[in-house]
Amino acid sequence: MLSRLPAHAVIALWTLLIGVPLYLLTVSTFKSTLEIYQNPLGLPEAFTLDNFVEAWVRADFSTYSWNSLVVTVGSILLTLLLALLASYPISRFRSWWATPMLGFFLLGLLVPVRLASVELFMLMKDLGLLNSHLGLILVYTATRLPFAIFILSNFMRAVPVELEEAARLDGAGHVRLLWSVLTPQVRPAVGIVTIFTAIAVWNDFYFPLLFIFDPKMRTLPLGLSTFVGQYGTDWGVLFAGLLLSMLPLALLFLFTSKQVREGVGAGGVK
Amino acid sequence: MSTDTVATESDGTEPMPKPRKRTVRRAHGLAGWAFLLPALLVYVIFLVYPMIRSLLGSLWDWRGMRAQSFTGLDNFTRLFSGQNADLVTNAFWHNVLWFIGVLVVQNMIGLLLAYILFVRGARWTFFQNWFFFPAILSPVLVGALWRLILTPDGPLDGVLMGMGITSEPLTLLGNGSTALWVLIAVDIWNWIGLPILVFLAGLNALNPEIFEAARLDGASSGRTLFQIAVPLVTPSVTTLAVLSFINSFNQFDIVYVMQGVQGGPNFATDTLVTFFYRLAFGAQGSVGITDVGLAMALGAILFIFMTAVSGMALRFFNKRAEMIQ
Repeated sequence: MLSRLPAHAVIALWTLLIGVPLYLLTVSTFKSTLEIYQNPLGLPEAFTLDNFVEAWVRADFSTYSWNSLVVTVGSILLTLLLALLASYPISRFRSWWATPMLGFFLLGLLVPVRLASVELFMLMKDLGLLNSHLGLILVYTATRLPFAIFILSNFMRAVPVELEEAARLDGAGHVRLLWSVLTPQVRPAVGIVTIFTAIAVWNDFYFPLLFIFDPKMRTLPLGLSTFVGQYGTDWGVLFAGLLLSMLPLALLFLFTSKQVREGVGAGGVK
Repeated sequence: MSTDTVATESDGTEPMPKPRKRTVRRAHGLAGWAFLLPALLVYVIFLVYPMIRSLLGSLWDWRGMRAQSFTGLDNFTRLFSGQNADLVTNAFWHNVLWFIGVLVVQNMIGLLLAYILFVRGARWTFFQNWFFFPAILSPVLVGALWRLILTPDGPLDGVLMGMGITSEPLTLLGNGSTALWVLIAVDIWNWIGLPILVFLAGLNALNPEIFEAARLDGASSGRTLFQIAVPLVTPSVTTLAVLSFINSFNQFDIVYVMQGVQGGPNFATDTLVTFFYRLAFGAQGSVGITDVGLAMALGAILFIFMTAVSGMALRFFNKRAEMIQ
């Protein structure tokens, strides 16, 4: 089949194409801007943490991180809760509306949500949800629900009927059936939804850009994007902030890459 | 992704006397709505409702952020006349080029890498993870990182000039004829893991005997790839084509972070969504000149265009995939 040498060369080339920029990002966090320009690819002269301290203290990084954490965890929990509840009748009931309802939710994967931002903005304003984390959580939940319901109902459909019947004979109601029987069975799907919601929400800066005006309420990507303008020439500090901001997701990815591969394979996500 | 391949059989099918069964089903129905309602409410209020209002809003005259009076197709006429028409056409072609670039280059490279990993060692999960890694980075990070790499007299120039390939700094991002291609390349770098994983899932689902047979027949690796692997992973290609389309016509983040909301230099990287954003919210956050009516018209056209194309593509390709199988 594929001769070994060119095949390995292609793999090596793309490995480097990703590795070199990431290496550059990492070493730049220890350098001054001058050093970045004079010696971009070399190791730093000194491994000083000045840039990190600067990013953490002067750039309000700690506030942004906290805000991002609240919004991300809130969105994951709400998305999971609502999607689990909705996937139960969609995948396990014989109602006439189960399939059309799934289709209705899946439409959300196709529609360009951003084009509704004016009306969404006015809605948020009327509901008093501008400048609030709850507002962001609700919008993220609405945009993440289609994927979550798609994955969860797919997995739930595969749970054997016998399990459900046994639980029913034991007198389990709908809530107990969903919580104690079905949810443990679809744990991989819960994992997939958690990771993809985490990635999407943690990295998003479009909705905070629209809905957050108070600097104290900014999430990481928005905070750091204003930071790009403000510290546009101070690359070292900027990259220290960016590197810190990606660490939680990088760690999550390290431990859950199997679910990520499954999730993408299951339908392609972005 | 597909909306019409959903099986419904799932509930217990224990034989029961007819009247009894009907009552069970009705009870199910009511309980079902109770479980469905919370998700449905959030989804409809924060996604479906604003979407529908935006479509209708394109027919209204806007002052500030509020609709004032019905004007019919006036917004659309204004959008397609004079300077606005030029800006729309300009941005539209950038999205088309973006789509073609991602569709062809990203998916070809993705297929090649996936095929090598499949043939040579799909168990090398390290490389799958490594190639996917940029996809978990925020657009702010990706944009800033590539801006540093490409900055005049920056790292890339340093290497190229050190090797004597160029004698003066490149200004790829400041040059109107190259900037768009740079952004497309960055997008490809960012999302290459997506086609790799989708193709790998498709290839792994195939019967390995097919490849064994091809090898025994003495088929070259190129022929095996294009005449056996590619046709058999048509469903993956469909998914990826639709995803490439949706993502290319939604481009905003990378342009905003790397070239600003004006799609600089001189609108050379302007896209439909950055143009929409400027019309709706102004050039600088919420200040600047806005024309919400135009934004609504642009949004409505894009919405109909995108939903129609991706819906038709899914339908068409699903039929073809069924025929092949």
